[in-house]
Amino acid sequence: MKLSDKVAAEINSIKSRYQDPRSCLLPSLYVVQKADGWIAPEAMAAVGELLNVPGATVKGVATFYSMFRHKPMGRHLIQLCTNVACLVMGAEELVDILKGKYGLEPNGTSPDGRFSLVIMECIGACGTAPAMLVDTDFHENLNEKNIIDTLENYK
Amino acid sequence: MITVTINGKQIKLEKPVSILEAAKMTGIKIPTLCHHKSLEAYGGCRLCLVEIEKMPRLQASCTQYVTDGMVVWTETGRVVEARKAMLEFLLINHALDCPYCDKAGECDLQDLVMKYGPAAGRFTEGKRKHPESYDDPIIVRNMERCISCTRCVRMCSKVQGASAISMVNRTSKTFVEPFSGGRYNCEYCGNCINVCPVGAIMSRLHKHTYRPWFIEKTVDTVCSFCGVGCSVTAQIRGNSIVRIIPESEKGLNRGLLCNRGRFGYDYISNSGRLKSPMIRKNGSLQETTWSEAFMYIAQKIKEIKEKNGGAAIAGVASGRCTNEDNYVFQKFMRLVVGSNNIDSIAGFAYAPARKFFEKIFGQGVTANPIQGISRSDGIFVIGGDPTAINPVLGLQIRAASQKDIPVATVGYAPGLKGFAANRLIPKPSTEAALLAALLTEMLKRKPLPAEKTPFEEIIGKIQPVSLNEAESACGIASGEISACVDSLSGMTNPALVIGRDIIQRSEGQANLLLLAALAQALNGRIYLSSELPNEQGLIDMGCLPDMLPGGRPVAVDSFRKRYGEFFNAEVPSAQGLSLMEMVEGAHSGNIKALYVMGENIAFNIPDNKFVKDALSRLELLVVQDIFTTETTRFAHVVLPAASWAEREGSYTNLEGRMQHLKKAIDSVAGLEDWKIIAEVSKVLGVDMNYRDSRDILAEIAKVSPLHKGVTYEDMDSGECMWPYKGEPLRHDLNIVGIDMPDMKALLKKPEKDKVYIGVDKVLFHSASLSRNSFALNSIYSEPHAKIGKNLAAKLSVASGDHISISTGAGAIELAAVIDSDMPDNIVLVPNNFEGRGAFRVMGWKMNAAFKAPALDGMEAVLKKLERVSAEVSE
Ligand code: SF4
Ligand code: SF4
Ligand code: SF4
Ligand code: FES
Ligand code: FES
Repeated sequence: MKLSDKVAAEINSIKSRYQDPRSCLLPSLYVVQKADGWIAPEAMAAVGELLNVPGATVKGVATFYSMFRHKPMGRHLIQLCTNVACLVMGAEELVDILKGKYGLEPNGTSPDGRFSLVIMECIGACGTAPAMLVDTDFHENLNEKNIIDTLENYK
Repeated sequence: MITVTINGKQIKLEKPVSILEAAKMTGIKIPTLCHHKSLEAYGGCRLCLVEIEKMPRLQASCTQYVTDGMVVWTETGRVVEARKAMLEFLLINHALDCPYCDKAGECDLQDLVMKYGPAAGRFTEGKRKHPESYDDPIIVRNMERCISCTRCVRMCSKVQGASAISMVNRTSKTFVEPFSGGRYNCEYCGNCINVCPVGAIMSRLHKHTYRPWFIEKTVDTVCSFCGVGCSVTAQIRGNSIVRIIPESEKGLNRGLLCNRGRFGYDYISNSGRLKSPMIRKNGSLQETTWSEAFMYIAQKIKEIKEKNGGAAIAGVASGRCTNEDNYVFQKFMRLVVGSNNIDSIAGFAYAPARKFFEKIFGQGVTANPIQGISRSDGIFVIGGDPTAINPVLGLQIRAASQKDIPVATVGYAPGLKGFAANRLIPKPSTEAALLAALLTEMLKRKPLPAEKTPFEEIIGKIQPVSLNEAESACGIASGEISACVDSLSGMTNPALVIGRDIIQRSEGQANLLLLAALAQALNGRIYLSSELPNEQGLIDMGCLPDMLPGGRPVAVDSFRKRYGEFFNAEVPSAQGLSLMEMVEGAHSGNIKALYVMGENIAFNIPDNKFVKDALSRLELLVVQDIFTTETTRFAHVVLPAASWAEREGSYTNLEGRMQHLKKAIDSVAGLEDWKIIAEVSKVLGVDMNYRDSRDILAEIAKVSPLHKGVTYEDMDSGECMWPYKGEPLRHDLNIVGIDMPDMKALLKKPEKDKVYIGVDKVLFHSASLSRNSFALNSIYSEPHAKIGKNLAAKLSVASGDHISISTGAGAIELAAVIDSDMPDNIVLVPNNFEGRGAFRVMGWKMNAAFKAPALDGMEAVLKKLERVSAEVSE
């Protein structure tokens, strides 16, 4: 697999900032994930090649950190909390709603490729539960209605 | 001075070491799992915890260093409890399938649980599941047994330098994987298997064939594949080798091996081994008895000698045979047959290079300890990839690089990519221009002294070459060349590792002269790569047309006389023929008989067709081998030899270290090479009277001035180094017979649009022997043609496409592999596979100075094939 010119250019600019190419691994993997939504094994190999870091080393790093995704994801990632506070405030129902409305299963992707859903353990918003992260945006005080309204802003 | 007390015993130390090491010195054993002596301390498993007075918590003794006044207890109740807890944790996810696991019996975890572990775990939830992986032909991975000690990963990245595996995922889902997740596609050194404390990664070759306690005997011997000469331990059960392992305390390899040494031994039990002597009758080889074969050979030799003289008979020795075999072989040729026509494949590169450097610097100049490489302050590599030719030597270079010792490589050396700070890849056959420029620049920075030695006088006369001239000849930017000079000029005693590619050239002598000059200017030590285990030994034994045993020239009357007198015989004085001259002689009819011991000349000499033509004209071709080869097909008599594991003797490696090869198993059919020759000699009326190889060594120790009194026991001590126990020839400072290179001719640019063919030295194979190894074939089963990316683009070839490669000598069809580091106008083809070797289509020119074939300038025409080619006909 070849990285797109844009991704390659971004990684090359990261490369110029560090002495040891291994230091570039995390930022480079972020660049790839931003572009592709996930990190394909071929992309790990390509990053390794570009940075001159063995492929196995890239894989070790990419699979260690939980923020990297290893299967194709929807365009937007919903991270919904179902831990105690959120649970008490109705998070389980929200899971059902997402399933009904978008066909989303936890750890799954909607058939139209729009959303992926990951269930989280407390994202630090217990006071304003239930809460979720969509990509990097925070949304709190969710209920059956505003969750859909919110998500409709993500196409 | 540091005083520490461990379990009440006091020790004094000069330098701080880890508690683990200090304890070891006092004879106290602390259990470990993640620690390994070839690896850096890691501190991951917490099994080595100890109690240190005044420290509240238990400490890991592998990472904690001793300090003055420290008081350590290694087996207190607290420590034992902690170990028990650690083991209980490890077993939570451990398969505990010991009755089925091959490691049981030599498993560190099993032993430790027996000693410290809990009788039962308290964890009742399920264990993680991870099916055993059989995706790889050699390495089985069972990650349910892995304890995440990372020893394998550290071995692969820090020592082997391959970084082919890593720990993937996190927490209890962590396990070891190669990048593909399935097949390893790595260097297959097996060093990871060796350090795994449990049965998580194991060799498939002997899976479920024995348990460690079934081993009947172990034999310490030497690897049969290359000139490094790694020490190996053969584990034997029922007259067969079940496993080859290195031992960390033994030999120069200190616990490391390469794929060939570790897995390639299975050729000895290949069912295709020759089992019976054969004589050609009515055009085909037919089985016969030993005595009939001996009679036949003796009769023929006698006839030819009487009719055409001894000089019409020639002999080919082998770098795979022992010193004893080679010694007896040259004795037979010289004293019984009466001919100095003795040479071997070593005569193509190793021997002439060695001879050249010895002429300049004195005998034994290339005998430098391999372990010195990682301790030098710079390394210069040229003429081949040491990590493929001599892998364990290559590891020394990688180790040096990891210690930030500068490494420079000239030419294509893929195994050192990422390890060499300066990588110069000149266009084909333009190294001389580059070397001359390096020398010129070096001499500007470190001028020759006013008071010159004879060699410095010669260096002074070498015509200078500027950076720009070099750039236009070899295509490397002058800035890159001068950056390399910057690096070289900081070295005070570098290692120069030189391979055959630079020697087997028309300008081979110029290359060597420039390298010698560079060695002088850099105060460097020279290492010559050697593809066979005993090239150095066969030279020392006198298997050269112009050298007697002990490195004494045939041409000097007194040496010749002395050697002859020992046996009451006469050594012929006529100059002998080199191997290439023998082949030419056979072709032209001057050579009537050829006696070949353990060499496949019809395959391992360029232009196979010419060689076969020559062989088919012989009146007598005798071949001793362990397999049917391209050469045995032309033979009049074929004699089955004993394999490497079936005989005793000695090998001398490329650093000039004699090592004891021990008999591990009984021979299936063949006889030792020396024994066959001695029998033929007996029929010819000269009874050599050897009972065993010891008798031969005793004779060598008497007649060779280099091997005075050498015994196997000397070798077993590990220190039987050049000049063994004897004396090298006194160095004659009057250097004669070296031509000044014609720089103008060497600065000629290669023609742009032409493609040249060269030989690819494959890590996984060893001439034509390794094709009989099931293991090595399963790693690398098909020859590929390697080309660079520009050439591939020009031919619109992708990796895996088939191409045809044609030259004046013929054509072969192979799958292409693209390597972006290769120069544009070259195609590399390995010479290992029957019918598809590089030498099938490569011609040669005679290098007059070396009397050996030069392989440069062999043009090839490449074409993409639309269809995958069918069988290639002979
Ligand atoms: S066999 Fe050698 S190269 Fe392959 S993974 Fe193991 S240590 Fe690494
Ligand atoms: S495979 Fe063996 S050496 Fe590697 S981490 Fe697991 S237990 Fe350790
Ligand atoms: S480096 Fe050479 S001697 Fe050592 S194991 Fe490999 S082939 Fe054998
Ligand atoms: S429990 Fe949901 S944010 Fe803390
Ligand atoms: S041996 Fe010390 S922590 Fe593993």
